[in-house]
Amino acid sequence: MSNSEHDHPDLAAQERTEEPELDRGIVEAWAAKMISNPDRAYKLAFYLATIFFLVTTLFPFYWLLMVAITPSNNLGSVGVLTPGGINLGAFVEIFTRLPFHRYLFNSFLIATVSTVLVLFVASLAGYVFGRLQFRGKSVLLLGVLVTSFFPPAAFFIPLNRLFNTNVEVLRPLLEAGSLYNTPFAIIIPVSALYLPLSIFILMTFYSQIPDGLEDAARVEGTTRLGALFRVIVPLSAPGVATAGVLTFITVYNEYFFSSLMTDGSPENWGPMLEGVLAFRGQYEVLFNLMAAASIVAVLPVAILVIVAQDKIVSGLTQGALKE
Amino acid sequence: MASVRLENVTKQYGDEIAVEDMNLEVEDGEFLTLVGPSGCGKSTTMETIAGLTTPTEGTVHIGDRIVTDLPPKDRGVAMVFQNIALFPHMDVYDNISFGLRLRKYEQEEIERRVERAAEIVQLEGMMDRMPDEMSGGQRQRVAIARAIVREPDVFLMDEPLANLDAELRIHMRTQLQRLHRELDTTIIYVTHDQAQAMTMSDRIAVIDNGLLQQVDPPLECYNRPDNLFVARFIGSPAMNFFRGEATADGFDSEFVTVPFDPAANDVKAGQDLTLGIRPEDVYLERDRDQADDPTRTIDAVVDVLEPMGDEVFAYLLLGEDVEASAEGRGEGQLLLSLDPQTDVTEGQDIDVVFDQRNVHLFDSNSEKAITHELV
Repeated sequence: MSNSEHDHPDLAAQERTEEPELDRGIVEAWAAKMISNPDRAYKLAFYLATIFFLVTTLFPFYWLLMVAITPSNNLGSVGVLTPGGINLGAFVEIFTRLPFHRYLFNSFLIATVSTVLVLFVASLAGYVFGRLQFRGKSVLLLGVLVTSFFPPAAFFIPLNRLFNTNVEVLRPLLEAGSLYNTPFAIIIPVSALYLPLSIFILMTFYSQIPDGLEDAARVEGTTRLGALFRVIVPLSAPGVATAGVLTFITVYNEYFFSSLMTDGSPENWGPMLEGVLAFRGQYEVLFNLMAAASIVAVLPVAILVIVAQDKIVSGLTQGALKE
Repeated sequence: MASVRLENVTKQYGDEIAVEDMNLEVEDGEFLTLVGPSGCGKSTTMETIAGLTTPTEGTVHIGDRIVTDLPPKDRGVAMVFQNIALFPHMDVYDNISFGLRLRKYEQEEIERRVERAAEIVQLEGMMDRMPDEMSGGQRQRVAIARAIVREPDVFLMDEPLANLDAELRIHMRTQLQRLHRELDTTIIYVTHDQAQAMTMSDRIAVIDNGLLQQVDPPLECYNRPDNLFVARFIGSPAMNFFRGEATADGFDSEFVTVPFDPAANDVKAGQDLTLGIRPEDVYLERDRDQADDPTRTIDAVVDVLEPMGDEVFAYLLLGEDVEASAEGRGEGQLLLSLDPQTDVTEGQDIDVVFDQRNVHLFDSNSEKAITHELV
């Protein structure tokens, strides 16, 4: 009896130092490997997430291209990965059938002017909030933040009434005497709405430029404003580029104000999105032209981002100042 | 070139007074150093002259103009900053010519002046470098070139050597003196390092707590300090102090007694006094002939010896129950400077004397100096 107790199989298994050779399936073996080496699991998760993200963002664009090069009579046969035929003419047709370039120009101009305006005003505000100490600063900053909480639609009705009002003073400047159907009707509300974000971005960047540099510029001969635009803004290039690109993209893609503050016709400053939707006739929807127009509309933003990326050189201030 | 005059300048930040009622006159072509511990208001004083801050009260004159309300760019001053403050997005040439370009000088004139400034600070051939490609000393020279290229009336230097390593700092110190001789401009220099103040300046202005303590040539501040603060601040290692009181026949304190005639030294019996003596004015008893006018012998024990190469600092304890204080020299401790060949060893009992010609007496309550020589 005493002998059998000694030979108990569980006891023997406990005493064995090495893990027993288990008969594992492929999945089990893989899981065991991941548990023993979690870095591999993290890496895998990272790649999976990246691939998922790229597929969900880039695939629709790819499919848009497939639709665009499919001839209009073959639109029913567009596959998941393959086009229903080859017809590059759609990229020309969008400019001949409708003045799509005018729509593009409208959006591009409105976005550019708004961006310049936003960057200028946000630079001044960012300087004040980021670099000066004064009474009421946090209250003002909170006010700026609060305005960005409102949905744009909340401002629409009063603004629409305002812009449709004929102002006698404006009559020599604007044909109708009202801002409706002019680019200002879009630039003004849109700039104001997207200003807070830029103020916050620039404030953060401007506050990090050392005081010594601003003092040096002022002693050397600039005013405070001169120091801002000659020294602080160039040194905050990454922040200015970020704020600029974000504002440009948002305004360029803006539809709500752009469509409602104009009648949507190209000569009355109808925006790019209005142009894309204009390829919808009474009896047919020219999906291939809409797809082609969408792709062409993306180009200015794509070019801008590539150019700005080149400009976003961080670490510009490194090495010049010892603190 | 111009003189600078501060009249009753006060600068307040909220309730805090950074500079209090300062009256200071810097002569044309003078090298004046503002010196004091950190936070004493010396940088605020300089910023007030530069125009980077506006004084709460008082006026600033540069030359015969009142510049109190003028922006920095219209004051004819140039400044070298502690953190060097070169514009990191510009190369050396653009940095140096920044001020000239802003003032719309002609291209040829700019080039001529930049070349000359670069020559003075020995920066030839580095015009295309970016600041982050240069060493600390080179950057400092660019900053100086940027200041001299505009030929300003007044140079302001705010701790320009503080961020350089020790060797470079000493080198730049002589460079700055040479520069001053060459340019013959008014220079106002701020530092907390009394060695820089002593070596470079025509006069030094000692500031503490926003108050001007003394404005005099360096050696005058060293030999005849106006008050206890100046005596403590100027000189390294610092002066020895003993708190005591005046008796009918001299100075008496717990550890040191120095007999003298109170009346001849403007001292009243019973007055609270602080006696100061510099380490080099303390002599060993056996060397008492070297002192011009030795005092009575004082017993001491050698605590620590610090050989510096050219001299040895001996820290002495003046009583058996005196303990060496962790925070600097306390009461009952005495520092003495000895010849490097000395045979004095740690733990040894020695006798020392003071040189009466260099004993400083201060009123302990007003902290003002009474005399710098006992008679």
